[in-house]
Amino acid sequence: MGNQSSNGELANKDFWYADWSFPIFTTLLASGIFAGTHMYYVHGTGVFNEISILAMLRVGMEGGGYGAAAAFGASFLFARILEGSLVGILDIGGSMMTGIGIGLPALILAAGFTLPLTSFPVALITGALLGLAIGLIIITIRKYTIGQGGSSFGADILMGAGNQAGRFFGPLIIVSACAASIPIGIGSILGALIFYGMNKPIIGGAILGAMLLGYFFPIT
Amino acid sequence: MTIWILIKSLIIGGLVGFSVSAGAARMYHIPKTQGMGAFRTLGELNACQGDPASHFSFGLGVFFNAWANTVAGGALTGDVGHRVIPNWSAAIVLLKGKDPEKTLHNPKKMAITGAIVGALVVAFLNVTASSIPTSLQEVASEVLVPAADWFLNPVMPAIFWLAAIDGGRRTGIYGTLFGGLAHLVMGNAVPGLVLGILIGKGVDDTGWSRMSKIIITAIVLLFIFSGFFRGFDIELLQSLNITVPNWLEDLHQIFGYEVE
Repeated sequence: MGNQSSNGELANKDFWYADWSFPIFTTLLASGIFAGTHMYYVHGTGVFNEISILAMLRVGMEGGGYGAAAAFGASFLFARILEGSLVGILDIGGSMMTGIGIGLPALILAAGFTLPLTSFPVALITGALLGLAIGLIIITIRKYTIGQGGSSFGADILMGAGNQAGRFFGPLIIVSACAASIPIGIGSILGALIFYGMNKPIIGGAILGAMLLGYFFPIT
Repeated sequence: MTIWILIKSLIIGGLVGFSVSAGAARMYHIPKTQGMGAFRTLGELNACQGDPASHFSFGLGVFFNAWANTVAGGALTGDVGHRVIPNWSAAIVLLKGKDPEKTLHNPKKMAITGAIVGALVVAFLNVTASSIPTSLQEVASEVLVPAADWFLNPVMPAIFWLAAIDGGRRTGIYGTLFGGLAHLVMGNAVPGLVLGILIGKGVDDTGWSRMSKIIITAIVLLFIFSGFFRGFDIELLQSLNITVPNWLEDLHQIFGYEVE
């Protein structure tokens, strides 16, 4: 148990506060997030991201090309690494969940390597190595730029557009459900209404409603 | 099958919970310490700081939404890492000691608590999601796949295009240029738009700094290489009714691309 009263001193030495330990935290996080994508790839659940962003990876998994997911995830990661080292907080949404969880797996799959996503141990190691690299890059940039402030390289705009685009997904789901079959469409509408009434994003309700009615009236 | 999902989820949740919670505690020590999380998370943690019940109920509020998303689409949502794990970890450490300075701001305590919270949360979400019948999952993908296709094209390009235009003159120009080119070369405008926003905003904020120059070089190279490897140069020449020179065909053949 360290004594936190002299934080300034500890900042340079103590493992939990030091710069040198930061890559260890990114290593562990990236390992977990990447393995989460492995979970989705193999078991159909477990990716650490929104359904709307996962949709990009899914398009690739179903043969539609990984380009969009790879470019979106990788450039988001790039922007967040720069921003994170400049402002002192690495945004784990853009860097880890989208970059490590969607973008880099898409790149790896696009290049034809499936082992990092089909094998759990390989996924853990791949994620760990990527996370280590990210942590080291950030600490290195931080050494040269600390205190200079600078640019977020548009990460705020990207996040805004990402959130804005994500909002479209709810209505799209309902439209898609209505095209699938009448009962599924009705379920989706009701589910969305209930979620909207509870001030929750309608997408969850739309999908759950569609699934519920789809259970009783399967698509033939 | 389920037992493997459980075991893997416990490991993954432990890793994520440990590092996310440590990163969250470290956010309180910027700029001396490099933190990780999000400004949003920091703000929300501050909003209920010191009160375990607030932290817990805030996490619970988004937990149900995350659960619905996991069951429906296999996605744990960003809320799990941004909100549920940090806030529930905060609630637990604050139960043990009321002073946030010694608990919530302490990466060690947060990390250890977070590892346990993360393991349980991720395991719960994944195991419940994977136990639903396959017929239901078929309905989910029947609904999700068309929506995902529309989302990818044209919804995302349109939104990102407007964001680039609204982001300022420079992001608008580079966004439109690279976005259009990206759709021609790669079949989707989003990558180009993202890169346009990246370089536009970078130049806005730092001028043509060394970093901006590196980024623009990388973008140009990216377009050249992906254009070449997709045979865009050949298609361009052919659609302009220009005969493709032999040396270019040979160059493509070296890399395995057959010119018709």
